[in-house]
Amino acid sequence: MNSKAYYGEYGGQYVSESLMNTLDEIDKAFEEAIRDPEFMAQYHYYLKQYVGRETPLYLAERLSEKYGTKIYLKREDLNHTGAHKINNVLGQILLAKRMGKTKIIAETGAGQHGVAAATGAALFNMECTVYMGKEDVARQALNVMRMEMLGAKVVAVESGSNTLKDATNEAIRTWAKTAEDTFYIIGSAVGPHPYPKMVKEFQAVISREAKKQHFEVEGRLPDVVMACIGGGSNCIGMFADFIDEPSVQLIGVEAAGKGVDTDEHAASMAKGRPGVLHGSRSYLLQDEDGNIQLAHSISAGLDYPGVGPEHAYLHDTGRAQYVPITDVEAMDALMELTRMEGIIPAIESAHAMAYAFKKAKEMTPDQSMIVCLSGRGDKDVNTISNYLAGKGYLN
Amino acid sequence: MANRIIDRMDALKAANEKAFITYITAGLPDMEHTAQIVKAQEGLTDVIELGIPFSDPTADGPVIQQASYEAILGGASLKKSFALVEKLRADGVKMPLVFMMYYNTITSYGIEAFVKECNRAGVDGLIVPDLPFEEQEDLNNALAANDATILIQLVSPVSKDRIPMILENAKGFVYCVSSMGVTGQAADFHKEVLNYLSYVKENSKIPVMMGFGIRTAKDIEPMANIIDGAIVGTHFINLMRENDFKAETAKEYASTFKSDINKL
Repeated sequence: MNSKAYYGEYGGQYVSESLMNTLDEIDKAFEEAIRDPEFMAQYHYYLKQYVGRETPLYLAERLSEKYGTKIYLKREDLNHTGAHKINNVLGQILLAKRMGKTKIIAETGAGQHGVAAATGAALFNMECTVYMGKEDVARQALNVMRMEMLGAKVVAVESGSNTLKDATNEAIRTWAKTAEDTFYIIGSAVGPHPYPKMVKEFQAVISREAKKQHFEVEGRLPDVVMACIGGGSNCIGMFADFIDEPSVQLIGVEAAGKGVDTDEHAASMAKGRPGVLHGSRSYLLQDEDGNIQLAHSISAGLDYPGVGPEHAYLHDTGRAQYVPITDVEAMDALMELTRMEGIIPAIESAHAMAYAFKKAKEMTPDQSMIVCLSGRGDKDVNTISNYLAGKGYLN
Repeated sequence: MANRIIDRMDALKAANEKAFITYITAGLPDMEHTAQIVKAQEGLTDVIELGIPFSDPTADGPVIQQASYEAILGGASLKKSFALVEKLRADGVKMPLVFMMYYNTITSYGIEAFVKECNRAGVDGLIVPDLPFEEQEDLNNALAANDATILIQLVSPVSKDRIPMILENAKGFVYCVSSMGVTGQAADFHKEVLNYLSYVKENSKIPVMMGFGIRTAKDIEPMANIIDGAIVGTHFINLMRENDFKAETAKEYASTFKSDINKL
């Protein structure tokens, strides 16, 4: 067992033998790169000048007043391409270039990571192929068009359930055949070591900025930080700089879909058990035979049956709490944020908002929380309007 | 404790024969057909790999993915695969049987319980394509009690300096993936593959088998003087599918391949 690949009993490198040398090469290149001031300067240059960082830490005034505690929003929705995904893509693509790779591949569910990867590929003139389940290609036509405009090839994956986990399977298969010239950019805090570590490193900018920004205004640490969690990339980014600050409560918000007691949810912490998928050991939704179950959430970005291994570890050690929020609760929070603050969030991020409102009720006016607003809702307008039409909100 | 794979490898060596190994997904199209396909190869095929269907087979190409998917829809599972092996043994099948499966199927069952059940049912070996050398400790500890079930090691053309480490304590035979990537790709053998196979052979104390992309005994002619046998998976599944999973087809194919491979 390669102990540096593990978070407690989670993580590891459960891949075919043909990828083991590749992972070793990536691990070495990554560890060198993050110690190379020139590489990090380049990464931060693009975050500032291309992505538009730093993103604001906004005190949501009306919501804070209504719920009786300070609610700060970390505005990852204001990043170029509309979500936090670009932070990680730029880090990994710069690493790919440094390693001499000429092609990149990526998996995508809703298309946000695919769009970010296609964007990075256009910026750095690399060939990009994005694997996307056939179902998702149909559901997310707009993002497919964006990726193609950016010059990426989108492969509609037809196997298994035709969704994100199958797209990931196909990306892994392609990678095993082409690793010599191709770098696989994983978008979430999942995958074999060193991927969960890389994704955390390149998303940690979220909490690094937020911690400093909160200190500038409040002169102290926040009491609570919170983020939505599918695979866990924005969540680990939001936690990263606070994990070693025991006074800060860490909360990850899972998608409970139609409810954790139904068969239609994506709550791998609440309802899953440990298993091995996509290269690492973590909590997974699986049936009694060990086959992976389909996840469900109104938010395509949280619609994944697993979760990153470090989150599984933070869960078991009690350092972080993970709580479920249903489709309905998330959509109510989405409307509330939209109407009260003039911010239309991604449905993913609305899950974190929904729990923020619950949590705020236990907090006092002089306490504060930071909620990671991981993405904007532009991509979700069709889903939102269909939902609202059914619910009659806007009529 | 004796192991049927090790015994068969010893017997082949003594007779100076090459091994012939087939792969079929357990429960495709149902367990009864799988049983007949296995029985038809008794005395011909040296080892049979039974693929245990899994929802997310990342090391398999489209043919075995589809086979796995259909088998699951048809109700196949690890428990039913154990029942299949138990029945085959009860019916007098003596040939070595190997489970090819993904690691989550094992951990979900429970590693200790899984190994006990393999020992009891008569599963002689395991091939776990998503369990590389560094992650094998838990499974090896459970298997170590006896040699009734052994873990087969896989190596690939890009394993390079990892090969001696992987082969040091390998048991039964070594499974050489002949090309990069997943099962079922076209036979595309070149000089590098020959160098790789020679390197594996030099480092191996046990027989060396080649798999991925083989259809007929002729496909392995270029490396016949290096390797000790061939594994046919994807092509065998296609063949069975084209012939309505008739046991007779399996028998004819095994008989031809086994006789041809020893003429090379």
